[in-house]
Amino acid sequence: VAQETITKRRHDGPGSQCVIGKNIQIRGKLSGAEDLVVEGRIEGTVALKNHLTIEQTGVVEADVDVRDLTVHGEMRGDIAAVGSVSVSNAAKVVGNIRAPRIILEDGARFKGSIEMDVELPDNVKPRRERA
Amino acid sequence: MANTIIGNSIVIDGEISGDEELVIQGTVKGKIALAENLHVENGGVVEADIDTTTITISGQVTGNIAAKEKVEIRADGKMVGDIKAPRITIADGATFKGNVDMDV
Repeated sequence: VAQETITKRRHDGPGSQCVIGKNIQIRGKLSGAEDLVVEGRIEGTVALKNHLTIEQTGVVEADVDVRDLTVHGEMRGDIAAVGSVSVSNAAKVVGNIRAPRIILEDGARFKGSIEMDVELPDNVKPRRERA
Repeated sequence: MANTIIGNSIVIDGEISGDEELVIQGTVKGKIALAENLHVENGGVVEADIDTTTITISGQVTGNIAAKEKVEIRADGKMVGDIKAPRITIADGATFKGNVDMDV
């Protein structure tokens, strides 16, 4: 169903959405200000002002700087998001995530550190900070 | 047929390779190697050496093109560089500067 939605959205008009199809490989720097769906492969760096979606067939080996990120596929590299990062149950992520909102679904495979950059309540703060 | 679109706000600096149809509305610098049809649409800017099956240019291309089948520069297309392809069409209104090698 998700696949159909994407196919439909592709034809909404110029610039509404960018899709990297599954038989496409990009190596280098990618930047932009629109939603991007990756079904293929990207190696390098990605800087996006909008939403990046890595579909199940997608593989991204890159440091990623985005507003929001949704991973259904494979992602290797450090992630910095100003919005949210969502790692779905089919996803495999290796790298460090920094974002105010991070969703890790049951079944997702993840290795790395998570930094949510939020004020923790007093009772869960590390001991030395509480003193 | 799956179809990849590089949208108009996307900038890629590097290499693109693959074997499915590719539409460029944004900016690509570097190198493109495609075993399918490539479309550079109006607004698209490509500064790259291109190796493809066919290419239609309605945007702006700077670089050398080698196409297995056909190169088509449409009326609003601008192209600077050398072209090597068995079939080449340049529409009335198109801008082109470079060498043409039709291998005849």
